Amino acid sequence: MRKDRRFFVGLIGVAAVVIYLVWTGIAATMTYAVTPAELFANLELNPEDSGRGIRVSGHVLPGSHSQASGELKHQFIVVDPTDESIRIVVEFPHPLPDTFSDDQAMLTEVVMEGRLREDGIFEATEVLTKCGSRYEAVPEAPGSEVPSAGSPGALPDQRIASTEGKVDG
Amino acid sequence: MIPELGEFALWIALPIALWGSVLAFLGGKSSRGDLVLSGERSTYAVFFLIALASAGIITAFLQDRFEYAYVYNYSSRNLMTYFKVAGLWAGQDGSIIFWALNLALFSSIAVWVNRKKNRELMPYVNGILLAVISFFLVLGIFVTSPFEQLGFTPADGRGLNVQLQNYWMTIHPPTLYLGFTSFTVPFAFGMSALLTGRLDARWIQLTRKWVLTSWLFLALGIIFGMRWAYEELGWGGYWFWDPVENASLLPWLVATAFLHSVMIQENRGMLKVWNMGLVLLTYLMTIFATFLTRSGLIESVHSFAQNITIAWIFLGFMGLVGGVGLILILWRLPLLQSERQFESLVSREAAFLLNNLVLLGIAFAVIWGMMFPLITEGFAEFRVAIGAPFFNRVNIPIGLALLALMGIGPVIAWRKASVRNLQRNFVLPLGVGVGIGAILFAMGVRHAYALLTFAIGTFVLAIIAIEFVKGTRARARIEEEGMGTAFVHLVRRNRQRWGGYIVHVGVVVMFMGFAGTAYDEEVTQNLAPGETLTIASAMGHEYALVYQGLSTHRAPNMDQIVALFSVSRDGRDLGSMTSEIQLVRAPPQRTTQVGIEHFLLEDLYVIVAEVSENAASLFDLNDAALQRATFRVLVNPLVPWIWYGGLILVVGTLIALWPGAGVPTRRIAPAPVPAAVG
Repeated sequence: MRKDRRFFVGLIGVAAVVIYLVWTGIAATMTYAVTPAELFANLELNPEDSGRGIRVSGHVLPGSHSQASGELKHQFIVVDPTDESIRIVVEFPHPLPDTFSDDQAMLTEVVMEGRLREDGIFEATEVLTKCGSRYEAVPEAPGSEVPSAGSPGALPDQRIASTEGKVDG
Repeated sequence: MIPELGEFALWIALPIALWGSVLAFLGGKSSRGDLVLSGERSTYAVFFLIALASAGIITAFLQDRFEYAYVYNYSSRNLMTYFKVAGLWAGQDGSIIFWALNLALFSSIAVWVNRKKNRELMPYVNGILLAVISFFLVLGIFVTSPFEQLGFTPADGRGLNVQLQNYWMTIHPPTLYLGFTSFTVPFAFGMSALLTGRLDARWIQLTRKWVLTSWLFLALGIIFGMRWAYEELGWGGYWFWDPVENASLLPWLVATAFLHSVMIQENRGMLKVWNMGLVLLTYLMTIFATFLTRSGLIESVHSFAQNITIAWIFLGFMGLVGGVGLILILWRLPLLQSERQFESLVSREAAFLLNNLVLLGIAFAVIWGMMFPLITEGFAEFRVAIGAPFFNRVNIPIGLALLALMGIGPVIAWRKASVRNLQRNFVLPLGVGVGIGAILFAMGVRHAYALLTFAIGTFVLAIIAIEFVKGTRARARIEEEGMGTAFVHLVRRNRQRWGGYIVHVGVVVMFMGFAGTAYDEEVTQNLAPGETLTIASAMGHEYALVYQGLSTHRAPNMDQIVALFSVSRDGRDLGSMTSEIQLVRAPPQRTTQVGIEHFLLEDLYVIVAEVSENAASLFDLNDAALQRATFRVLVNPLVPWIWYGGLILVVGTLIALWPGAGVPTRRIAPAPVPAAVG
């Protein structure tokens, strides 16, 4: 019995090491995920947070993308998903993912990691795109209007395959 | 005609599966052979009907039947034929049917193989299998039917997501699904053992090959997925710690723990409750992985569907299975007593148990990292992101501990290792490991984890090599055989053990491949035709890539912009390499094809990152200014070792799986005690 108990202590030791690693790992690597509106709201509350790494998600403002020729510096504007007037200017010094677009036709959702600079520009180290709604503006095939077949699953727009590109920052 | 028949077959399959399940349980309870037989015939019938349904779906794809919402969403007229066949598992609706098909196939095999054996367990096994199939059929018919019609016929479909249009699409998902579904069989055996109270090691012996097969498919599925990501996603890596990748890793981790801990039960009669718990947990993880892939609950590169209803249904199913499984284990607790106690922390039992804890520790860390954002969003009302830095930080040290245990576990003595046993088995390998570490350090390797991986890895390889040499020598002496013959006979006589060692070699080689990441080199540069990009690798090679310019091609469904390089390594010409941007018409999507050149020790990886915004006009005019483009070039050391390691792992598993005795019977050798001991 005594030996079994000693064994038990060993098991708890392993579990403790794992939990310690997970706990400190979360604390050290976690980033906050916010919308542009939340980012600015947070900033007003604790301005000292502006230097911190953070993850922001929103929509790309159509037509806002620009790039200096021959340089790998992209600039575009990301708007809050609920309030288009809340905007962040983003700079990204890496190649953009294949699925990135600022076309009117396809609203691109982006998730960016980076930090807000002193001058109010968001410097992204990583940009992910998510194009769940990309086909909404594409006209339907002949016969046009999508009928509701009784079940919500029948609507093609709710069954769109979404894609996501990834660029390592 | 055929698709309609398929839908009809699906409707008939459900009542047969449900009724067959009831018959099987009743037959088992009352020991009535006629009921049991009806139950088993139901399984074959259900397999046949689901096969018809699957054929129906594939036919609908091949015939461009866009009146089906599922075909409309995942196909188009000009889609290549084999992607149309792969349409069966391209989306959620079809993959539920595909899952049911695999499960019905494995169920039929399990029932057929045991039609004259293990009669006390089989009715329950069959009943459980049919019940699980019924669940997926209910999903496939009422919740996500692939036969749902739009009510009109569109002229063309939306096309398959371009990133899925890769030959791995026809290989990777089915392999993973085979792994997920085949684990249902050992689960059903485990639960049947609980139901019938036959709780000796029998159910474990019966399902050993099933577990190993499932494990192999999972491992292959994961490796194929890594390869796919490496070739297709074009960022130079093979593992994102993406939620869906993590989800596929979870059942594999728990199944690996199970594979090892059952050896303790077979040899020492211990850990019975633990093993039941692991078989249940592995099964739950396979369901969790399926549900995560398909529900889009967690943001992921794989979240092709965003259907929250199905998430709740899957959660409910997991809750039911987990709850019933736990109740059964608690009910049978008196029969699951250990026959022996642990005697020492320095013993094979202890090493195996530690290995189990470490594997579960990794699984726990992975789940926690995936779920933490959901938890904070649900309870603390703020959102957080947990990414690769977390998973690497936590899992690399635990993984290194696992690597070390892989060497220790197989050669340390049962019960209590003597100092002599430790000296005989570990002094030389430790020397080799430390020596390799020192040599690498002297050569300038300073990355701590990379050094540790190589030191521990060679320690494990040395142990395995010594085992092989000792075993072969002993056999050659006793049986008076030549060394070659003795080696073959040695492996053949205990395939499980030696196959397992070869799997370990594969894993060590893969770990070394992972460690190579520490020395990735990357250059991003904007080039005009004629300009050269140079990159030096950590292995000391220098690559020069001379940019030749862009050319354009029109293919049936896409425009291609191809960048051409002539490449040399240390001044020696290697020929040309290309990387291209594909502008797909249906669905309108842009994708990049990377160029990869494999060497023994590293990969040269070329990505055309950006072309001029007007590069599409290169199709009409040849303007030198439009030829400027930005490239990312990477040298990834040791990535090829991951694939070699995977290959070794497969060979080892196949040796362990090969039909025939493979394990010495107890009459000849009392227990598989390694030759080194005593």
